[in-house]
Amino acid sequence: MNKNILLKLIVIAAFPIVLFGQIKISGTVKDSKNEPLPSANVYLKGTYDGASTDANGKYSFTSAETGDGILVVSFVGYKTAEKKIKLKGPSLEIDFTLQEESKQINGVVISAGSFEASDKNKSVMLKPLDIVSTASANADIYGALNTLPGTQKVGESEGLFVRGGSATETKTIIDEMVVQNPYFSSVPDIPQRGRFSPFLFSGTVFSTGGYSAQYGQALSSTLILKSQDLAPETRTSISLMGIGAGASHTQRWENTSLAGSFSYYNMSPYYNVVKQRADWDQPPNGKEGLVVFRQKTSKTGMFKLYSSYTNSKLALYTNDLDTLGQKDKFGLKNYDLYVNSTYREIFGDDWTFFSGASYAKNKDNYDFTYHNFTSGKELQQSKVSVTKGIFANSFLTFGGEVQNAIYKTSYDEYSKKVNDFYFAGYAESDIFLSNSFAARLGLRYEKSNYLGKADFAPRTSFAYKVSDEGQFNFAYGQFYQTPDKEFLFTDSKLSFEKATHYILNYQYIGDRITFRIEGYYKDYSSLVKNAVLQTTYDENNVYKFNQNSYNNNGKGYAKGIDIFWRDEKTFDGIDYWISYSYLDTKRDYRDFLVMATPTFATPHTVSVVYKQYFTSISALVGASYAYSTGRPYYNPNNPVFLNDKTGSYNNFCVNASFLTRIFDNFTIVFVSLGNVFGTENIFGYHYSADGERRSAIVSPSLRSVFLGVFISLGKEQSVPSL
Amino acid sequence: MKNIVMLLIALFAVGVVNAQDDRYVKAVEKNLAGIDSAKSFSDYLDISNNFVRIAKAEKDKWIPYYYASYCDIIASFIDSSKTGKDAYLDEADKYLSIADSLKADNSEIYTLKGFSAQARLVINPMARWQTYGQASAANLKKAKELDPSNPRPDYLIGESLLYTPEAFGGGKEKALPILESSLEKYKTFKPETSISPNWGGQMLKTLLEKIKGN
Repeated sequence: MNKNILLKLIVIAAFPIVLFGQIKISGTVKDSKNEPLPSANVYLKGTYDGASTDANGKYSFTSAETGDGILVVSFVGYKTAEKKIKLKGPSLEIDFTLQEESKQINGVVISAGSFEASDKNKSVMLKPLDIVSTASANADIYGALNTLPGTQKVGESEGLFVRGGSATETKTIIDEMVVQNPYFSSVPDIPQRGRFSPFLFSGTVFSTGGYSAQYGQALSSTLILKSQDLAPETRTSISLMGIGAGASHTQRWENTSLAGSFSYYNMSPYYNVVKQRADWDQPPNGKEGLVVFRQKTSKTGMFKLYSSYTNSKLALYTNDLDTLGQKDKFGLKNYDLYVNSTYREIFGDDWTFFSGASYAKNKDNYDFTYHNFTSGKELQQSKVSVTKGIFANSFLTFGGEVQNAIYKTSYDEYSKKVNDFYFAGYAESDIFLSNSFAARLGLRYEKSNYLGKADFAPRTSFAYKVSDEGQFNFAYGQFYQTPDKEFLFTDSKLSFEKATHYILNYQYIGDRITFRIEGYYKDYSSLVKNAVLQTTYDENNVYKFNQNSYNNNGKGYAKGIDIFWRDEKTFDGIDYWISYSYLDTKRDYRDFLVMATPTFATPHTVSVVYKQYFTSISALVGASYAYSTGRPYYNPNNPVFLNDKTGSYNNFCVNASFLTRIFDNFTIVFVSLGNVFGTENIFGYHYSADGERRSAIVSPSLRSVFLGVFISLGKEQSVPSL
Repeated sequence: MKNIVMLLIALFAVGVVNAQDDRYVKAVEKNLAGIDSAKSFSDYLDISNNFVRIAKAEKDKWIPYYYASYCDIIASFIDSSKTGKDAYLDEADKYLSIADSLKADNSEIYTLKGFSAQARLVINPMARWQTYGQASAANLKKAKELDPSNPRPDYLIGESLLYTPEAFGGGKEKALPILESSLEKYKTFKPETSISPNWGGQMLKTLLEKIKGN
C-alpha cells in the first residue's frame, strides 16, 4: 500500500501534464469600428498561455488549465478587456471588441483658437526650438509668434495684436501666473523686445481666442508659457553679442538645480556700425540679473522659483513738429523686479494641486524736455488650482486667484495712485466622451473692487475628430478685462470691457504636415469711450459737457479667417510654414469719432518662414518673409476719420546658426539680417497740431543685424541656456 | 514511514518549484530564440506580447519585463508611422519602470532606459535632442557606473555618437574608440544566467565592419 502511494506520487511528479486535458481558445479582436486589431495580446490571466492576434485580428491557443479563468486582451491605445470564462470542453470561441483609450496616439485634443508648442503634446504646431530659429524673430518669443496667423504686423510698437485686438488685450502667463510687464518699457515708435529668454521655457500655448476659464483679463488672447523643470546638468556658459555680453552658471544636484546669470548690454557700439535714423542721446543700455531655482520635492512634486531684476536706460530726441528746429527729448530709466514661485504636486491617483505666488514691481522715470513723469506698477498675485480626474480621461479643474494691482503716476508735482483688488474663481471640466469627441465647459467669476463690478464669464469648447488626422473644433466664450490703467486714473465710473468669441476651425495634423483653417467672429462691447465726444443732453435738454470723462459705451467687432500650413515632410531637410490672415474689424472706442478700423489692423497679412539644415556645414539657414496690406492712420486734414492708409508692409529676413567648437567648448554662432532688401516700410504719420506738417513713422534703422556667440563651457555636449 | 512520505512530499514540492522555474527559463529562452529570428514589426510586437504574458504570470521576475521593453523599442525603430512610435515607447518605459522596481540599480535596465530615450530622440532629433539626448546620456552613464564591465552602454553611446554631427560633439573619430572598448568588453562579458541580457555583440561587429569598410 505504501509502495502504491509512493508509485502514485512518482507518477504525479513525473507526468503532471498527462493528467490534464487541453482546451483550444480562439476568436477575433476588433475595434469599435469593426476593424481587426493585429498584434493584440490575448492571454489567460496568471498563466503563460496566450497568443497575439494575426493581421486579421484572429488568435488561437491551447491551454491545460481547467475551471474558472479570466481571458485578457490588451493592445496599445485601447482599454484592456477581461472576460470570465469556464475552461471546459475541447474548444472555446471568444471574440472581443476593444474600446479606444481617449487621448492616446490619435486622440482628440481640444484646440480651438490655440497654437501649442511643446514636445509632449502630439498636436504640435510650433516647437520650442522654432522660436529660436525663426529668421524674423531675433530669438524673441513674441517675434516668433508674429509669424502665426491671427497676428498683425505693427512695426512701431511691441506686443501681440491679435485678431483686431490691441496689444493690451493679450496677456502673458508664466507657470499659471500673469505677467504684468512682459516687454521692456515702451519707447515712442520703437518696438521693444520681450523680457524673457525663450530658453527658459519648455512649452508654449498661444491662444488667439476662446481660451480656458482658468485665465482671464484678456479680451483677445493669452500666451501661456511653461518653464523648464530641473536644469539638466551643471554648466557654465558665456554669450557674446554685438550688443553686449552675459555669463551664467547652473549647478545641478540630484533633486535640485540653481542657476544664476548676469548680463550687460549697450547698443552704442552697434549703433556706430549699423546706421540709425533715430537721434539717440543715450543708446539703450542696461543690466540684468537672474536667479532660477528648482526643487523636486517628491517623485511628482516640483517647486519653482524665478526671479529677475533689470535696470535699463535710454534717451533720444525727436523733431518737434510744432516748433521748427526744436527737438524734444525722451529719456527713460526703468527698474523692473519680477519674482514667480510655484508648487505643483500630484496626490493619489488623480488629484493635482497647484499653488503660486508672484510679485512684480516696475518703475519708469521719464525725462521730457521740460517735464518729469513717472509711472509705477506693482502686482501681487496668488493662485490655487486643483485638478481631479473624474472618469476615463476626463477631469475637473477648479481654483481661484487674487491680484492686487497698484498703479502710480506723477507728472511734475502732481501724482495719483490707484489700487485695484481683483478676485477670480473658476471651474472647468474637460470631458472625453469618446476617442473622437471632447467637450470643455468652464465658468469664470471675476470681481474688481476698484470698479465695484463682478461678472460671470462662460467658456465652452468642443472638438470632434473626423479621421485620424482631421478634426473640427468649435469654441464660444465671454471675456472681461479691466480698462487700461490710464482710464482708471480719470475717476470715471467704469466697468469691465467685454468681448465674446465664436470660433470654428478644421485642422489636419498628418505625418509632419499641418493644415489649419479657422474662422472667427468677435463681438466687442462695453469698451471704454470718451464721453466728451458724445452729444448727451440732460433732463432739460441742455448739452452736457463732461471733461476728461469716460464711459463704457464703446463697441466693435472683428471677423476673419486664419490659415496655417506647415510642411516638414515633402522636401528632405526643409521645413517651412505659411500663414495667412484675413481680418475685417471696426470699433468705436476711446477717442474715435465714428466706427472705424483701428490703426493696428489691416485686412491681409501673409507670413512665410523657411528653414533648412545643412549637415555638411552644421548650419541651420533660414529666411522669412512678411507682407501685409496698409494700415489706417489718422490724418487731421481728412474730414473722414481714419480714412487714410499707409503703403503695404514688406520685410524679408535671413538668418543662420552654425554649430561649432571653440577650444573644444560647444559653441553656437548666430547671425541674422532684418529687412535685407531695405524696403521702406511706413507705419503711420505724426502730424503737427495745425495739421500743416507731418513726419513718417519708420523703423529706427532701415536694416538690422544681429550677431551672437554662445559658448557652453565644459566637456558635456549641450546647448547653452538662459 | 510517515517521515518518508513527508520527505517525498517535500521533494515533490521542490520538484514542482524546479519544474516551474525550469518552465520559466525555457519559455524565456524560447522567446529569446524568437528575437534572433524576428524580422518584421509584428514579429517584435508578438514576442513582446509573449514576454508580457510571462511577466504577468511570474509577477516578481524583472527579465520578462526587460525583454518586452527591448522588443517594443526595436519595434518603434521599425514602425513606419511616425505617430505610433511614441506609443510603443510609452509601453517600453512602462515595463522598464516595473523592471526597475523589481530589481533596483541594475546596469542592464539603465542601459535599456538609455536605449529607449535614444529611440525617442530619433523620432524628431531637432526638437528632442535637448530632452532625450540628456536622458539617454544620463541613463547610460549610470548603467556604466553600476557595472563597468557591461559592454552595452558603450555600444549605445558609441553608436549614437557615430550618427551625431561632428559639431554636436559626435562623428566617427569620437565614436570609434568607444565602440572598440565596447567590443573588448563583449569579449570577456559573461551573462549571469542563460536568460540574462546578452545582446548587441553581433550587431556591434557588423557595425564596426561597416565603418571600417567605408
